[in-house]
Amino acid sequence: MAKHHVNLKVNGDEHDLLIEPRKTLLAVLRDTVGLTGTKEGCSTGDCGACTVIVDGKAVTSCMVLAVTASGKEITTIEGLASDGELHPVQQAFINTGGYQCGFCTPGFIMASKALIDENPDRSEEEFRHALGGNICRCTGYTKILEAVLKAAEEVSATA
Amino acid sequence: MSEHTVVGQTVARVDAVEKVTGAAQYGADVHPPGMLYGKIVRSKHAHANILGIDTTEAEKLPGVKAIITQDDVPSGRRVFATDKVLYLGEPLAAVAATDPDVAEEAAELIKIDYEVLPVVQDVMEAIQPSAPRLHGDDTKDGPNRREIATQIRRLSRDKENDHSNEISKLESELDNYPDEVYYNISAESHSEAGDVEKGFAESDVVVEDTYVIPRVHQTYMEPHVSVASADSSGKITVWASTQGPFAIRSGIAGTLGIPLTQINVIGTTMGGGFGGRFGVIITHVPAVLLSQKTGRPVRVQMTREEEFTDGRPAPGCVIKLKTGATKDGHILARQALAFWDSGSVSGASIGSTIRVRGVYKIPNLKVDAYGVHTNKSGTAAYRAPGAPQAIFAGESQLDEIAERIGMDPVEFRLMNMREEGDPVPAGASEPKVGYKETLQAVADAAGWWDREAGENQGWGVAVGDWTNGCGPGGVYVSVHEDGSVRIFHGSMDITGTDTAISQIIAEILTVPYESVTIRRGDTDSAPYSTGSGGSVVTFTMGNTAKLAAEDAHQRVLELASERLNMNVDNLELRDGAVHVVSADPPKSISLGELAAYSLSTTGGPIVGKGSFARQPSTPALAAQIAKVEVDPGTGRTRVLKLVASQDVGFAINPMAVEGQIEGGTVQGYAWAMMEEMQYGDDGNINPGFVDYRVPTSADLPTVESVIVEVPAPNGPYGAKGVGEPPITPTLATMANAVKDAIGVRITELPIKPERVVDALKSNGH
Amino acid sequence: MKNFEFYEPTTLAEASRLFAQEHAQLLAGGTDIIIGMKALTEAPQSVISLQKIPGLAGITAEADGSISVGAMAKVREVELSPDIQQHHTALAEGAAEIGSIQIRNLATIGGNIAHASPAADTVAGLLVADAQVDIAGEDGERTVPINELFTGPGQTVLAPGEIITRFRLPSPTSGSHYIKHKIREVMDLAFIGVAAAVNLENGVITNARIGLAAVAPTPIRATEAENLLAGNELTPELLAQVGEAAAAAATPISDLRCSAEHRTEMVDVLTRRTLQTAVDRA
Repeated sequence: MAKHHVNLKVNGDEHDLLIEPRKTLLAVLRDTVGLTGTKEGCSTGDCGACTVIVDGKAVTSCMVLAVTASGKEITTIEGLASDGELHPVQQAFINTGGYQCGFCTPGFIMASKALIDENPDRSEEEFRHALGGNICRCTGYTKILEAVLKAAEEVSATA
Repeated sequence: MSEHTVVGQTVARVDAVEKVTGAAQYGADVHPPGMLYGKIVRSKHAHANILGIDTTEAEKLPGVKAIITQDDVPSGRRVFATDKVLYLGEPLAAVAATDPDVAEEAAELIKIDYEVLPVVQDVMEAIQPSAPRLHGDDTKDGPNRREIATQIRRLSRDKENDHSNEISKLESELDNYPDEVYYNISAESHSEAGDVEKGFAESDVVVEDTYVIPRVHQTYMEPHVSVASADSSGKITVWASTQGPFAIRSGIAGTLGIPLTQINVIGTTMGGGFGGRFGVIITHVPAVLLSQKTGRPVRVQMTREEEFTDGRPAPGCVIKLKTGATKDGHILARQALAFWDSGSVSGASIGSTIRVRGVYKIPNLKVDAYGVHTNKSGTAAYRAPGAPQAIFAGESQLDEIAERIGMDPVEFRLMNMREEGDPVPAGASEPKVGYKETLQAVADAAGWWDREAGENQGWGVAVGDWTNGCGPGGVYVSVHEDGSVRIFHGSMDITGTDTAISQIIAEILTVPYESVTIRRGDTDSAPYSTGSGGSVVTFTMGNTAKLAAEDAHQRVLELASERLNMNVDNLELRDGAVHVVSADPPKSISLGELAAYSLSTTGGPIVGKGSFARQPSTPALAAQIAKVEVDPGTGRTRVLKLVASQDVGFAINPMAVEGQIEGGTVQGYAWAMMEEMQYGDDGNINPGFVDYRVPTSADLPTVESVIVEVPAPNGPYGAKGVGEPPITPTLATMANAVKDAIGVRITELPIKPERVVDALKSNGH
Repeated sequence: MKNFEFYEPTTLAEASRLFAQEHAQLLAGGTDIIIGMKALTEAPQSVISLQKIPGLAGITAEADGSISVGAMAKVREVELSPDIQQHHTALAEGAAEIGSIQIRNLATIGGNIAHASPAADTVAGLLVADAQVDIAGEDGERTVPINELFTGPGQTVLAPGEIITRFRLPSPTSGSHYIKHKIREVMDLAFIGVAAAVNLENGVITNARIGLAAVAPTPIRATEAENLLAGNELTPELLAQVGEAAAAAATPISDLRCSAEHRTEMVDVLTRRTLQTAVDRA
């Protein structure tokens, strides 16, 4: 079975890779590119821990074959902070205690960032619904929502 | 105002940045050079004889480096099944390959020849004589009156020897056992106080019901994983996602028959544990065996599906409960008969059945509990193991009693709660615990006393108690020449405990929290530490940290005394410097200066050591109130309000404590409303997040947490373990709210739509 | 996951040719087939991506009031399309019920339908929109009404090599609604799904359609129930009759999610609710 040449643009860096078509984007990010911040929680698209942003859209990277991501702009949790400055969503998660074990956190932050980029002016109820694809087992979501609303408010104010 | 400056304050956690940037290293993030990928070969049947295992085809697959079965376990301790499997997913072999997909393909190529056997999944069926005996003979059948009576008769017939002591002992035991014989029993536990029959006879109201609680999975988000590396000298390094690296070290040593010195366990950042991350066999031992065989590092990582089929979840159970009370609201007697589904091995938390007692004065109490074998994986701890199940039964039934005698559920509970000095079993007396304070706090915060409910809306309340565990731990503290403080220990951080330890040490050494750094060592370098489970860490390691900091504090004063030529009694440490008491002009020396002085003279580095074993713990209470709305057409329930209070003793980091309360409460909500592991003749039938439903943010409102602080005498600053209590009352809270909303009592969890619709129908709707 | 040959054709004809071969599978959004391949319930020898074929995506409102939805349109686009939200509300609501936003950003409506799960969330909305399904194959193109597409669980009338290219939604209905019976608010699979769409004239129903998901081996229309409605005003009595008729049309199974009896009962309850809302919206 033929391997394929894939050009992944991850957090601004290009990676020319030769990979089997059965490898998911998640597997390639973690095992080949070496960016392990993106987590594998279920590998069936049901927990959101592997959320990354591809061409501006949040997707579960376990449900993407890496061959189909060639040439697309991919942002992972490692690419969020810039010049040593945390992204407002990251900072808000710290300030409100929006994480505990931290395993779902990268996926939650990426999903939240994509939502806020799309439209920061959502109600708590709308954010609760829109973040339903990310499972957190530790926090009960209260402090996560607090973080996301705080970050959205901040982004909205500076927009 | 608090007299403290660091403890009792909300601070950002020590691991904040690494966790929001993806830098934290979890088990599956460890990738040593040359690493192979392991895969466990699992039974595809829930009960079968194994007639043969053929690895020939798999061995031919390019990239396969090793295949192991029980034959490859030199110690002979059971790691893989050989002649018989007792549940779907039971390990039979393991593969190591250069690629995870190749390992998976190889696992599929291993041919297992099964002879399928009859399966039993329901505990109430498993105890019947018609059930298949999982362990083959009748040694697992429960003791019973007939059996004991037979023994007595046999002994009485022996006229040559005097058996009167033995006989009278057996006679006194006779009453402890039920008439029925139960089959497939894995363990049992019995206790009795007072005389329940007399209590029921004197009661005006007696309620009896059967409660059914499903098996649920801890569902930590990071599946089990370990990376093992055996070097040519035989030294084994294991990167393990575990709550207890020292327990894993001794577990591996015991299973493989090798000395502790040959094993180093490195605990990786833990993606949730909740009690389920202590198992040794699950991934660690197979990874070690594969690495020993290949001479290369091997990672064994479970999929989510494997977590459900071969994890060690919380046991389900059936509890028959009976309570009697007087019409003016005094509980007189309670009796429980419980059957816990322990799966294929023993070990379900059957002893927790006693928690049906709750925090109430119940003069007459009898509890009989059995563990029952079924064709499922074994079980393990899950956040206050056994308590949510028992308390669901106890607190549901309390509401039924309250309703029948016409008392408010909160008042009824307040009236029956134990108070300081009340006798408790084992001759002790009740310590000071904020039972009433906590219940009152949640009632006040939720607006219980002037609550309103629209159509199909209702309010429910329940309380749950739990006492944190305790175990040994060690901490080193050192003060550096810049005045910063370093902490070294061996305890796994379980969502904020490293932060609490840092706060305690900063408090005692009077330095800013930011100037404290904490490092966890591996089992080769760190002092022994008890596992991070049972809400022990803040209690144990907090006390240990205090001892270490106090030791360093003492050393600092000695050095200052020498440096300033002052008696220690005239010195005090505050704001990071040692000050001469009432010196005019003021005279002081900073910690940094002292550390530098000590390094350059004869003092050496400033090091404090804390070594702690155990102290008695104090119970904690969680009290919760929910307001729900039930759709009687579809049976769906929406929670409108969820308020949770907890007596935490003292909140070292209030934001983290709130997080524990909120998270535990939501896990309880989930158990009540949606989670259940389902089983059929082929084993677990919902091994994934589609049909094993974990709540999302869309299912919940904001959880309002209320911190109550009634200090624990032996806790650091009065702190109690906070992790476990909040899950204990929620199951009953939800059931009680549903009852209030639509008038039907759901006694079998989860409270899923179909169950509600059916209950409404049988109630005449 | 077993390995496979991967193709990214740029024309439908090429895709069709490749797909007509044995053990070939299409990849649209990937969210169903990747799960299947990971579970080893699917092990295709070749996987043919439709992602590089131009013209299969997009949602277009045509001059005649019909709407054309490309098979490769993302479910998230269907959910957010103002045209679909306005004229085929039930379809937009169904789309919003699928998985998470992350999944809906990947999944396509064509994939959701071609997978032929009786529980697919977009299918009831397409049924009540009376969608026409455009299909391309090696032997040319054809159109099949959505209610004739499915033949069984995972089974359709599609011949080897045939690919769904487009859904055409004719004659906008004036009010429609979709309700999914579930436990979790989001991320659940449908225990059942009910869509209703109506046209009203002076309070009288001129045309009604009821689509049911997860109550039979294929998604179905409740035609007996629909016939009760035409030419009538919606009264509580009629609503009750229609609910019963829809329930009678259901032949559900019992499974780990719920019993057949519960499903049938919920068809009754939810048909009445969706219909009432559809009429209120009309």
